[in-house]
Amino acid sequence: MSKKRYLRFMALFVVLALTAAACGGSESDDEPSGSSQNEDEGGVQAGGVYRVGVLESFNYTNGFDPTGEYLGSAFSMYGNLLLRTLVGYRHVAGDAGNEVIPDLAELPEISGDGLTYTFTIKDGVMFGPPLSRQITSDDALYAFERIGTESLVAQYGFYYDVIEGMEEFKSGKADTISGISTPDDKTIEITLTKPAGDFLQRVAMPAAAPVPREVGECFKKAGEYGRYLVSSGPYMTEGSDEQDASSCDTLKPLSGFEVDSLHAFVRNPDYDPATDTTEARENFPDRFEFIINKNQKDIFDKVEAGEYEDELSSPLPQVLKKYSTTPELEDRLKINSGDRTWYVSMNLTQPPFDDVHVRMAANLVMDKEGLQRAWGGPLRGEIATHVVPDVMLNGELDDYDPYPSENFAGDVDAAKEHMKLSKYDTDKDGLCDAPECKGVLHYTRNVSPWTDMLPVEEASFEKIGIELQTRELADFYTPFQDVSKAVPIGSGAGWGKDYADASTFMVLFDSRSLLPTGNINYSLIGLTPEVAADLDVVEALTAGGTLEGIPSVDADIDACTEAAEGERNTCWAELDKKLMEEIVPWIPYLDATNVHIISPNVTQWDYDQSAGYTAYAHVAVDADAQ
Amino acid sequence: MGRYIIRRVLWVALVMLIVTFFAFLIFYVMPTADAATIFAGRQPTPETIAEVRKQFGLDKEWYEQYGKFVSDIVTGDEYGWPGFNMSYATRAPIRETIFDRVGVTFQLAVGAAVLWLAIGIPIGIVSAIRKGKMPDRIGMGFALFGVSAPVFWLGIMSLFIFWHKLQWTPGTGYVPFGEDPGEWFGHMILPWGVLSMLYAAVYARMVRSNLLETMGEDYIRTARAKGLKESRVIGKHGLRASLTPVVTMIGLDFGVLLGGAVVTESVFNMNGLGSFLINSVRVGDLPSVTAVIVFAAFFVTFLNLIVDIVYAYLDPRVRYA
Repeated sequence: MSKKRYLRFMALFVVLALTAAACGGSESDDEPSGSSQNEDEGGVQAGGVYRVGVLESFNYTNGFDPTGEYLGSAFSMYGNLLLRTLVGYRHVAGDAGNEVIPDLAELPEISGDGLTYTFTIKDGVMFGPPLSRQITSDDALYAFERIGTESLVAQYGFYYDVIEGMEEFKSGKADTISGISTPDDKTIEITLTKPAGDFLQRVAMPAAAPVPREVGECFKKAGEYGRYLVSSGPYMTEGSDEQDASSCDTLKPLSGFEVDSLHAFVRNPDYDPATDTTEARENFPDRFEFIINKNQKDIFDKVEAGEYEDELSSPLPQVLKKYSTTPELEDRLKINSGDRTWYVSMNLTQPPFDDVHVRMAANLVMDKEGLQRAWGGPLRGEIATHVVPDVMLNGELDDYDPYPSENFAGDVDAAKEHMKLSKYDTDKDGLCDAPECKGVLHYTRNVSPWTDMLPVEEASFEKIGIELQTRELADFYTPFQDVSKAVPIGSGAGWGKDYADASTFMVLFDSRSLLPTGNINYSLIGLTPEVAADLDVVEALTAGGTLEGIPSVDADIDACTEAAEGERNTCWAELDKKLMEEIVPWIPYLDATNVHIISPNVTQWDYDQSAGYTAYAHVAVDADAQ
Repeated sequence: MGRYIIRRVLWVALVMLIVTFFAFLIFYVMPTADAATIFAGRQPTPETIAEVRKQFGLDKEWYEQYGKFVSDIVTGDEYGWPGFNMSYATRAPIRETIFDRVGVTFQLAVGAAVLWLAIGIPIGIVSAIRKGKMPDRIGMGFALFGVSAPVFWLGIMSLFIFWHKLQWTPGTGYVPFGEDPGEWFGHMILPWGVLSMLYAAVYARMVRSNLLETMGEDYIRTARAKGLKESRVIGKHGLRASLTPVVTMIGLDFGVLLGGAVVTESVFNMNGLGSFLINSVRVGDLPSVTAVIVFAAFFVTFLNLIVDIVYAYLDPRVRYA
């Protein structure tokens, strides 16, 4: 090709490209379905794609079937994008994000005794394709029936045992749930066996989102429905409109859910913004893509390059440092309360931690500032001084620290004073000197930050005479949750809320949740010789430990659960103090933050406090920059 | 020849049976952790754990589970043939996932194999015929670098240079050929290059040493004594003999790669079998782990079978051994 011909070709190419771009621009100006309320509000425009890099895998715990799915990131996708519940959240940061507001229904009428909740479903709320029909009270009832169907494995189904007749339905003794009635298509009445101040928050969980019976009943095994999910929110899984729901046999897995690579959501044409509020959902992007990427560094490179808008990963230390120290990047580093506590757990049945004075001394001596540094400093969280994160107790325990020390570096003298009261300090010099204090088995994780915490922990315990024998594990939870292992102390544990009520933390201390394996009450609070016999762990625990004199807080938990709305926080705060001062099962050290890094294409971003992830309902992107 | 092939096929079947047995033994019988507990949620009740155990088939005796595992592979399960059942983690049929992913791994392996042969064999030949001279030193320097440089490091460096800095390539991920051939090539070129580097180095060294050994044989001296041109001596007599072991190696290496190029797929974020295996191990998804192992073992034994048959065809003595 001659130079002249080449230049002509290039000129033609440029003209065609510009024409194509202009045509593309006019197309993007078309108003997308369901976005009329949001067009160009305050400089934020509808349109574009919100791409999220997901590390390794979606990690769904139940195949994305809302009945059993128990993963926080899935909760955020459901609540923000796909599923509307009878009542829901605003999906914003802070206390306002934890407040329950109307969604498919108005806030319910609650009977004087606090036992009956009557919801009225709004007009015009619809299931998306392939059904495109009004959501009824029967769909809400069916969601509860799914929770009570054992084969569908509702992983947090225990939250709904408080509904009258649920246990009979679960066990197959009854065909219906006697405590739920649907007098008409719009009304659903739920009766409880005892008052539960947090019941509305339970109703706001994804498992309670209405499910269309005609599709849901096609799937009898746990997790199967996730690939066929019918949307009730502003978005739907891509391919929903190609689905044929005329019979169970014609249903096919949705094309937008490739279980190991991509989860794509597009606008739901049956979503009517008039039935929702912009306070809860603004729905700016036309499309959401959750893309699996096994390379953590690559995720952050792509966010920086604008190839992803957001990430579901954990920022690498060098990424965190870069964004926190570069002024032009600071706006793209988002730090919010994770409503999660990280802690060292002590086993009340095993020496030397079967002595409360040793546990108190351990709390006093621990260099929590050192542990925070191992995590990456204050960006990763504030130092925790009690069980429940402060934000969940509405400030009740903001300044509470039963084991204070200067700069949280540990108070060795105070710790020794407590150790002197222990039976394991035989010469009363403030050091643990009994044989049980040497080679104390300690489980932790074999990755950072736990490996970085280890020197700090060992040095702290040595100051009171305790020598740890540490095992660094790739899989920390499985052996640590096995009661028969009788592990005295473990440092890999953390716990986040299910919803913003302290009850979701107190389950960790409830003796009724004790299990031989998969146990989450690591300290074994409330364990009695009888319960230990039921769990078949007597021999394992008494080989070196004891089952005598282990305190229980079951009655306190029951009292707080039934407490009226205004008294709940105070009740839980008092229980938190009792745990920290009288029982002392933990050394809490970090109220973790959730850190997100976003791309330069993101023009609006918020944090969903209720789910603990990005508020996808409120994000917006600069579509022209994509 | 027919009897030989039948004998080899029966051996393949036996090897596969042994592989399935040990894969099952290691992942289902030996672990102390109960998979049902892991997949029953973070606050499971005993009833929930029991239901999950039942749905996973873990409530049966191990030999019953193994029998079903093998029979599903041979005769298929409710999702089709071969039957690998459902993934614990995704609750989707494993067969579907493997079939989706094996194509990506296959494209990666084929492209890399073409590259490493195109690079490794010429370097080996040039190094051998210029032994001790500059081309040999450069060629063997390359081989040393290729063998020594870890694949993950090469991957990260190539991404940094060609994507991040020069922006010559589109970065990580995979784009199907049918969607956009240009993008497909752009996304494949770096993984091919990185994966082929190690193998090209190994093949260069192997070809060089084989060719050097062959060139010392009596029949080569005879060929030269007969007055043949050096290019004909090397091309017709030397290379033919020295490249035979390369055929065996290609079969083995290609078979192994089809089981998943774990590191390359992870670094370049490609959804192949290797990355599927890694993730399945991480989350304790036992059926997926065993399925990939069985699938990979099949490729290795099948390609070995092909190599054996080709060998038997080329050298009849092998059939009677």
